[in-house]
Amino acid sequence: MGIVEKTQKKGTSKKETREIVIKKERCKGCNFCVEYCPRDVLEVSEEFNEKGYHPPKIVNSDQCLFCGLCERICPDFAIYIKNNETEPEKEEKPISETTHGLFNIVKSKYEGEFFMQGDIACAEGAIYAGCRFFGGYPITPATEIAERMAKRLPFLDGVFIQFEDEIASMAGILGASWAGAKSMTATSGPGISLMNENIGLGMMTETPCVVVNVQRGSPSTGLPTSWGQADMMQAKWGSHGDYGSITLCPKSPQEFFDLTIVAFNYSEKYRLPVFILTDAIVGHMIEKVIIPPPDKLEIINRKYTKKRPQDYLPYEAESNLIPDFAKAGDGYHYYVTGLTHDERGYPIMTEEVQKENVTRLVEKINTYSDDIIILEERDIDKADIVVIAYGITSRTVIPAIEKAKKKGIKVGYLRLITIWPFPEKRINEIARNIKGFVVVEMNLGQIVLEVERCAAPYTSTKLVPHAGGGIHNIDDIVKAIEELAHEKK
Amino acid sequence: MKKSSIEINKHPIDKYLRRDRMPHIWCPGCGLGMDITAFIEGTKQANIDMNNMQIVSGIGCTGRISGYIKLDAYHTTHGRAIPFASGLKLANRNLTVVVFSGDGDLFAIGGNHLIHAARRNVDLTVICVNNFIYGMTGGQTAPTTPVGAFSSTAPYGNFEKPFNLVGVAASAGASYVARWTSLHTKRLANSIAKALSNKGFSFIEIVSPCPTVFGRKNNRSDALGLINELRDRSRIDNSANPTEIPITNYGEIVIGDFLNEPRPCFSESFEEGIKKTKERIEK
Ligand SMILES: Cc1ncc(C[n+]2csc(CCOP(=O)(O)OP(=O)(O)O)c2C)c(N)n1
Ligand code: SF4
Ligand code: SF4
Ligand code: SF4
Repeated sequence: MGIVEKTQKKGTSKKETREIVIKKERCKGCNFCVEYCPRDVLEVSEEFNEKGYHPPKIVNSDQCLFCGLCERICPDFAIYIKNNETEPEKEEKPISETTHGLFNIVKSKYEGEFFMQGDIACAEGAIYAGCRFFGGYPITPATEIAERMAKRLPFLDGVFIQFEDEIASMAGILGASWAGAKSMTATSGPGISLMNENIGLGMMTETPCVVVNVQRGSPSTGLPTSWGQADMMQAKWGSHGDYGSITLCPKSPQEFFDLTIVAFNYSEKYRLPVFILTDAIVGHMIEKVIIPPPDKLEIINRKYTKKRPQDYLPYEAESNLIPDFAKAGDGYHYYVTGLTHDERGYPIMTEEVQKENVTRLVEKINTYSDDIIILEERDIDKADIVVIAYGITSRTVIPAIEKAKKKGIKVGYLRLITIWPFPEKRINEIARNIKGFVVVEMNLGQIVLEVERCAAPYTSTKLVPHAGGGIHNIDDIVKAIEELAHEKK
Repeated sequence: MKKSSIEINKHPIDKYLRRDRMPHIWCPGCGLGMDITAFIEGTKQANIDMNNMQIVSGIGCTGRISGYIKLDAYHTTHGRAIPFASGLKLANRNLTVVVFSGDGDLFAIGGNHLIHAARRNVDLTVICVNNFIYGMTGGQTAPTTPVGAFSSTAPYGNFEKPFNLVGVAASAGASYVARWTSLHTKRLANSIAKALSNKGFSFIEIVSPCPTVFGRKNNRSDALGLINELRDRSRIDNSANPTEIPITNYGEIVIGDFLNEPRPCFSESFEEGIKKTKERIEK
């Protein structure tokens, strides 16, 4: 395929051939040439170049004066007048071999090793897990997830829709989930605040989906382009009422990819919206991401009932506490409501049904907490002090731990990959054998409250807070470790 | 034998209702039951596979409709039926998705979703029951409460200009727009059938009597009186411009099948756009 478009016109005196040449692959669509050409020779074309711009095309070649204005005005050296003296055009690389651009994203097989941004790794993880519906509303620092899904999903027979706000986005992914699609939305703190009512609807109706929060500095609009970890409690308590919830916290683009798949698996297995809480650093960081071949990782799909419609009760949970789905359109005629409901899904406004309904929502997560909780531990059995961190902060604590070790302190490391359900049992166990916990988090004290609850009465807990927008000072962490190590019990 | 005698007494609509939930919670003389009947008739007329039909509601007296019709049905949160329904429809285009909800639900708290779904021409049939007030919560001002009408939050009479629902829907981009009263069941059913057959955003307003709350606060608590009033005040004009027929407290209510201008729905436009790109890439 040619990258050059030509027009010819005979010069008057000499037998000279002149032509306008457009190097489409260089064009960035500023339209200066189109606008400024005195003879309206050029027009914006319909076609896209590799970068996604519309290069100009020649429409009135016989009108061209060869004035050269376009050549001079083009900021990207993408258009010029060719005459006899011009050096011949060398063979250029065919477009399809260029490594950037929209079309390559669409065409590529995502398998192997990549340098990939966290947000994009998240989107790829979702696609790997089978997500085929994304509804969202743009917000920094999560927008890249939506943008990636917008590019990818239409070519995977999926649907991307940019809704009018986050309320609609959350409602939309619940609807899509009931239609049988694995669905996801991604946002940041302000968006989660708007979604919370419908997150509750998802919890109450036990609707699988994944909600990603790329945390910014907060509260309110806070630090839109910067980071924090201050939505940790919101993920558990954001919507009104009691319900069990699951939150995963990746520390790198690779983990963002992996945990997005885990989140989809949990959401299908335990029937609820699952949160991924990361932050602007992980979201925007570019690191190596390995994407395994399809089918290499375990993917859990929805469990549909085998019962006949007349025998099926939509919220009848067997001893496993998790009801089976019926497919929309299969004649089961189920009723789904955010009101307190019985096994039939019917609203029943009694104390007994309320107790049964809500208790099951909490218990179905508690019961499986051992399967849901993922932790990373280092040197805990020999430790006096254990540093607890999660997400991006877990990377900051490593040099601090090394420094404290050099000072002769026995320090262990506990990284919470699953934040909710909270790993109470394990922390309680560790607490019996150590001098204290140092909790490092990028907020003014959230997860530390949970650690204190589980650690008391065995050991003390110290917080190293940070309000967000920067990173912890290593020495503050070392100081906290030292203080706790030398504290008299 | 006993069984067959029970069958004989079965109301023809019963097979479409959750009989085990009858009687419903609505007040005597409430228009909502009539609206269900018209709806069922409309779906039959349109020859829709009932198993594919999905009913989505928000919260309110009207929101309870989804709980009484025996189809796959979703009672969502206040105002959010439309985006929920959009998700359902876009993720599975074989489903026929109907939103049945109140005027407060769809035009106050959910107004933003309504105009955007209409703009996108998402293939939904939205049926809005307009009873001029918030019924479920005991009679507060709705975005439809006429100027001069009373509500518990407009104790001196409402002075806010209400929305003309069909006008809003048409202006926002709905491709099918109609308005009837609960009383015009036949015409309403016809419209519902048309709306269901329109591949795009269809909007039907049903002016429906709420004797208990709207009526009581406005000296019209007699249910029959209220339905008669709707009959007397309404005038059919299919050629009316939906943007020019607001409803006032006592004035004429223009009803009809105002607009039927199909255009590509969201999914079709989406597909078309992607097809073009695919062709370009393959070149
Ligand atoms: C977020 C939220 N705010 C308020 C309510 C309370 N609420 C329930 S129904 C309703 C009004 C319903 O009015 P309308 O949609 O006109 O329905 P109607 O009851 O008249 O049929 C309100 C305000 C709620 N359920 N959720
Ligand atoms: S050379 Fe001059 S007339 Fe010809 S296309 Fe460029 S600007 Fe237009
Ligand atoms: S309050 Fe009004 S709308 Fe609600 S059930 Fe009673 S009559 Fe119907
Ligand atoms: S009086 Fe009213 S409720 Fe009773 S049968 Fe007649 S219409 Fe129905």
